[in-house]
Amino acid sequence: MVRKYIKEFLWTHKVKYILGITALICSGILTLAMPKLLGYIIDCLEKRVVSQSRIAWLTGGMLLMAMAIFGLKYLWRNLLIGRARDLECYLRDKFFSHLQTLPLKFYQQKKTGDLMAYAINDIGAIRRAFAFGLVSLIDGVIINSSSLFVMAKTINPRLTLIGLAPLLVAVVVIFKIKNPLRRSFLKVQAAYANISEKTQENISGIRVVKAYVQEEAEKKKLGLASFQRMRVMLDYIKLSAIVGPTVEICFGLSFSLVLVIGSTYVLDGLITLGDFIAFNTYLGMLQRPVRHIARIVEIWQRAMASSSRLDEIFLTKSDIMDDHPVNAKERFNGALEVRNLSFTYPRTESEVLKNISFKLEAGQTLGLIGPTGSGKSTLINLLLRLYPVPRGHIFIDGIEINDLPLATLRENIGYVPQDNFLFSASLNDNIRFFSERFTLEEIEAAARFASVYENIIEFPDGFETVVGERGITLSGGQKQRVSIARAVIKDPSILVLDDSLSAVDTQTEAEILANIKAILKDRTGIIIGHRVSSIKHADWIIVLDEGRIIEEGNHEQLMAKRGYYYQLYQKQLVESRLQEVGENG
Amino acid sequence: MRQKEQNTFFRVLKYFRPFIGLVCLAGFLALVVNITDLAGPYIIKIAIDDYIVGEKAGGGIKLIGLLYFLSILVGACSNYFQNYVLNSIVQQIMHNIRMELFSHIQHLPLKFFDRNSSGRILTRVTNDVESLNEMYSGVLVILFKDVFLLIGIVATMLQLNRNLTFLSFSVVPIIVVVTFLYRTRARRNFKRVRALIGRINGFLAENISGMKLVQIFHREREKYREFKQLNEEYRRASIFEVALSALFRPSAELINNLGISILIWYCTPRVFASTVEIGVLYAFISYIKKFFGPINDLADKYNVILSGNVSAERIFELMDYDEGLERMESGRPLTELKGKIEFRNVWFSYNGEDWVLKDISFTVNPGETVAFVGATGSGKTTIINLLSRFYQVQKGEILLDGVNINEYRLDDLRRRVAVVMQDVFLFAGTIESNIRLNNEEITPEEVQRAAEYVNADHFIGKLPGQYEAEVKERGCTLSAGERQLLSFARAIAFNPSILVLDEATASIDTETELLIQDSLGKIAKDRTTLIIAHRLSTIKKADRIIVIHKGRIREMGKHEELLAQDGIYRNLYEMQYA
Ligand SMILES: Nc1ncnc2c1ncn2[C@@H]1O[C@H](COP(=O)(O)OP(=O)(O)O)[C@@H](O)[C@H]1O
Ligand SMILES: Nc1ncnc2c1ncn2[C@@H]1O[C@H](COP(=O)(O)OP(=O)(O)O)[C@@H](O)[C@H]1O
Ligand SMILES: [Mg+2]
Repeated sequence: MVRKYIKEFLWTHKVKYILGITALICSGILTLAMPKLLGYIIDCLEKRVVSQSRIAWLTGGMLLMAMAIFGLKYLWRNLLIGRARDLECYLRDKFFSHLQTLPLKFYQQKKTGDLMAYAINDIGAIRRAFAFGLVSLIDGVIINSSSLFVMAKTINPRLTLIGLAPLLVAVVVIFKIKNPLRRSFLKVQAAYANISEKTQENISGIRVVKAYVQEEAEKKKLGLASFQRMRVMLDYIKLSAIVGPTVEICFGLSFSLVLVIGSTYVLDGLITLGDFIAFNTYLGMLQRPVRHIARIVEIWQRAMASSSRLDEIFLTKSDIMDDHPVNAKERFNGALEVRNLSFTYPRTESEVLKNISFKLEAGQTLGLIGPTGSGKSTLINLLLRLYPVPRGHIFIDGIEINDLPLATLRENIGYVPQDNFLFSASLNDNIRFFSERFTLEEIEAAARFASVYENIIEFPDGFETVVGERGITLSGGQKQRVSIARAVIKDPSILVLDDSLSAVDTQTEAEILANIKAILKDRTGIIIGHRVSSIKHADWIIVLDEGRIIEEGNHEQLMAKRGYYYQLYQKQLVESRLQEVGENG
Repeated sequence: MRQKEQNTFFRVLKYFRPFIGLVCLAGFLALVVNITDLAGPYIIKIAIDDYIVGEKAGGGIKLIGLLYFLSILVGACSNYFQNYVLNSIVQQIMHNIRMELFSHIQHLPLKFFDRNSSGRILTRVTNDVESLNEMYSGVLVILFKDVFLLIGIVATMLQLNRNLTFLSFSVVPIIVVVTFLYRTRARRNFKRVRALIGRINGFLAENISGMKLVQIFHREREKYREFKQLNEEYRRASIFEVALSALFRPSAELINNLGISILIWYCTPRVFASTVEIGVLYAFISYIKKFFGPINDLADKYNVILSGNVSAERIFELMDYDEGLERMESGRPLTELKGKIEFRNVWFSYNGEDWVLKDISFTVNPGETVAFVGATGSGKTTIINLLSRFYQVQKGEILLDGVNINEYRLDDLRRRVAVVMQDVFLFAGTIESNIRLNNEEITPEEVQRAAEYVNADHFIGKLPGQYEAEVKERGCTLSAGERQLLSFARAIAFNPSILVLDEATASIDTETELLIQDSLGKIAKDRTTLIIAHRLSTIKKADRIIVIHKGRIREMGKHEELLAQDGIYRNLYEMQYA
């Protein structure tokens, strides 16, 4: 996947790459020619065959050439290294938009801090490969091939072979070490991600850490992670540091052989002394790029390791997709039918919903009540298709839910979640949820609806107040009401409130309930609550327990049944009765 | 700014102090590498002069070859060990810096966390430390060797010809100027790049945890656009960084050639006039080249140094941030707490301007249960926050057992006060690890008892693995009520002297809530309990009820008394039960 993206990227930027590589090659050749020119100048000086002014001109030419090299280098750096930065951003862009398509299940497996490490660290490793890695690769190829060519062609092929034989050893070692190196680097990256993940969790949970004086324990935890990272890093260095010295040793061997054998060749008159010296010079020139091979291999191995890490994310595909979307209306009527729905969360065994069936006409309101963990939110999760929904069990306006385009489905549902997550943005942005299509009036109206308007205008910055991460600088009830406003501003055809008034005081609750009742007159509603008072006006009430419907009906019917609902009602009523009795008596 | 930069540099060096022995070892090894580096060409020179040109007997050349190979071998091995030793120092230092930073963050006040996104803080601990790492391991290793080399070259040049040496170095001021020009710009840009990485991290952190919501509201496109914009901003800064260094890096080479040209121009007439030997000129040219080798390298590495330095600055800036730093262990130990709480004319504001609490005074006697009621945003949670010293009061004082809470050891204080927070936070781990956190003293039995108290045992029993069942990040695979029960159980397990419940049963069904209230009756008997709740049924048993309105105490008294008063409380009551 990553490779595909990289190929795409290279293809779209091919002109820049071609230009850049040309500039790189030219500057490489000029750099190689530079010593020749200098040597020529010195020779002229030594032999005094030319005039002083000519030498001055030659030197000026040399300076000009240096400037040309400067210009070429500037060019290829901008063209090639600049593209590596582009590539980094391109991949990060792809990464984020891919993350956006991934289902909830994925986020429950991967931690936030870990994912962040992918986006910065692993993509960074790929960037390095395409910056330094690519350039040294090309550079190395040019220098190597041209030196080899000159050596073999102009001097002595046999000596060249002898001189190069030990270098093969270096190449073999490098290739041998390649895979362990990559494996080792995977560990390094994983250890880094671990630190990132631990720190991220620690910071988001800092309130609990402080409240329970867990600072020392947390330090110990991170200490372990950091120590682990140090260890794998040193393991990695142990391995990667082999390459450089190996190359050196092999070169040493080459030089020694050339020295011993070459000198006999000279004595035997097979080659001249000048050839011998030139040969040594070229062999020396090879040393830098071959030594660079070590770095290049290292960098490419790192990039490879990171790319396979990234692939693991990129290859994760959402199992919630629009397979065969029908042409549904933009706006639903809101009739909802659930038929024999059973559901088990992925990677778990026990059924959370068991054979649920009910029918809701457009415009009706459903009340859901039941103990904690009975599956109420799960039902909503399925309605929103946050998990794959088995076919043939949920229908909206008579259409199978899996056939509805996901976007239309979610646009039509206004959802107030149980845990209120706000973004660290202005209240304005939080209510309209970053969509440009709502006017200020609409935002204010939504805030009024949720009874949070008065609170907001009391803040010094009003609707422009920026809240802390997750809305941390608001009180619980304020958060909850902002998230109600966020749901109703969409003017959804189905409004879902998942225990959405739990943090709101009684008076405000009454206000909001009245508003909700009004707004639900002409749209479908699902209200989850723990208080009978909040759902008793619903057209249909379902009592869930352990994933089963144990009772259903409207308020009167359920009261007549004298079952769970009735008892709950009594319990909630009795409390208040008791108080009244106490008060009167 | 200059001053600060230097301080950063020296501060970074300070971390090397404990490893001085190893640093010396690395230095020695570097010296060996340098010597063998220089010895190689010398040996070849001898070979050529004596054996090839001098046509000495053929046997010696093999010995010379062997010698050469040995010297390379020694050099390579030293190189390997030098690399390893230096890197192990660097990794150790990274570890130390990271831990120091992390420890510091642990003790920063909540105010800091309110203002700084977790992504930005995270960037300091991860990316910034990482770029320091790059600076150390990438540059120092090379710097070490190069310094020796440079000194050696300058010394030989001076010995050879003073005038020419000065002439050769006449270009050095140009390097200094160019470097200076580059540095100021590059630094500024590096800071921007780093800050942008922080923002990208912040964005990612928030959007990954809020992804569910974005998907439900189908705002992927809007969020993507926001990310793209941020990424683009980063890209531009990053490309500018490349352009700057593309100008700077090759300039060292250009200046090198300029130096050589000057030398040739200067020497040409003198060579013609035979006042300067051609050999000397030749030597100087090769020395200048040698001299510029490391300088070139340095220009190559300068980016890494600058970026590492900027990171170091950011790290130290955070380490030096000590406004309201929590000092855990100073103050009066708090072994036995009776549980008397007294607020005396407490005024408090989060931002220093708008009072959230105004003139709050009340007393809670040991063992009492006191309830707070009031509209959301009236300041109830804030009162609790002050009691645990999460924030500092601006006016007035809070006393525990008659002593100002500021005088107690902070860790003792917080151990005595357990708060079931409104916003539940669970760690990735197991059910058990979430109840007892890292506290080894809490036995599995106590964990279970705490769970039973809050009726969490019921659902825990159904999980695979029960108390060992896995809890994902933030407990995202549990229902909201279950999460709240766990956080409740946690507070109970810590067996505090003062128990604070901040809407602790808001997401829990009535039946469970009633059961919890029963057991709470038992727990609350011998400890001070503060309860915040909206359900009046939850609080009616309290010894006293305090009604907060817009940050002020408006009513205080028993349930019946308050009902009789015909004030806010009565109003609320009638709302709920009318
Ligand atoms: N993502 C998930 N993976 C596995 N189990 C889950 C997940 N979400 C919820 N559960 C479990 O499913 C059950 C029903 O949860 P939920 O529908 O949230 O309950 P509630 O009725 O309180 O809304 C709970 O026991 C919970 O632990
Ligand atoms: N960390 C914070 N920073 C700034 N303002 C805050 C912070 N926490 C709460 N507030 C504000 O202080 C006021 C009181 O909040 P809080 O004490 O949480 O109310 P509640 O009575 O609902 O518990 C609210 O207006 C809220 O917006
Ligand atoms: Mg609160």
